[in-house]
Amino acid sequence: MTAPLETPTIVEPEIDETVEVARPWVVVVWNDPINLMSYVVYVFQKLFGYSKEKATKLMLDVHYKGKAAVSFGNREQAEIDVSRLHAHGLWATMERD
Amino acid sequence: MARTFKRSRHAEGLDVVLEAGEAAVLTRLCAELTTLLDRDVGNDGDGDGTEADPVLERLFPRAYLDPTEEDAEADWQRFSHDELMDGRRRAVATVEQTLAGATARRGRLELKLSEEEAQAWLAVINDARLALGTRLEVTEDMDMSRLDADDPDTAPYAVYWWLGVLEERLIEVLSG
Repeated sequence: MTAPLETPTIVEPEIDETVEVARPWVVVVWNDPINLMSYVVYVFQKLFGYSKEKATKLMLDVHYKGKAAVSFGNREQAEIDVSRLHAHGLWATMERD
Repeated sequence: MARTFKRSRHAEGLDVVLEAGEAAVLTRLCAELTTLLDRDVGNDGDGDGTEADPVLERLFPRAYLDPTEEDAEADWQRFSHDELMDGRRRAVATVEQTLAGATARRGRLELKLSEEEAQAWLAVINDARLALGTRLEVTEDMDMSRLDADDPDTAPYAVYWWLGVLEERLIEVLSG
């Protein structure tokens, strides 16, 4: 004998429209004439754990396109990444993705 | 100068060999960075103080590009500025201490750096390049060979160029 299946009650999740997660942030590094290309690659690897290939591609985007998106997250994560990049002398800003 | 930085063979960290003149320039740059950081009157979020000096502005840029995010920018400055400032000052202090502890040998200075101390060296060398480069308004296609010996900027340009060479060597060893 098996118990009859109860009809599941579907609970509609309450959606908080103000939640930041719905609007992730992007951290952008801008080109500057001073930082060495090797240094920028080194910092991307050190701070974000990126492979040498990925870090080099991002550095080249910064150099030739003027900027590159290096990390994504909620507001707090983006603020922390911007601080870490500034601590390493990179010119970084954050904006809504 | 090719062997300024080397991985220590028997221990963690780096062996450093500097000409006495190079050590003197680094010591002076540390003092200049301290003077520069002392000029920062602290940012209370209203955007004054740091904004006036392009070098301080370069070392402590804004986080938010969007001018409608002024409140968020002020909050971010409040929680991050002192930490960024302390980090820079600690790095300068580490470089000064390690330089002061160097051993003179055959006209050169030798010293050892832990990994953490080597990171402080990298940070200070990079900050000094940022400060000098911003003040000199360097551009990517700058041609050093066209500098005139009578130009008062020739000496700082030479230091800027030398710091770049030093930094490349340090990164090469740290990445290796």
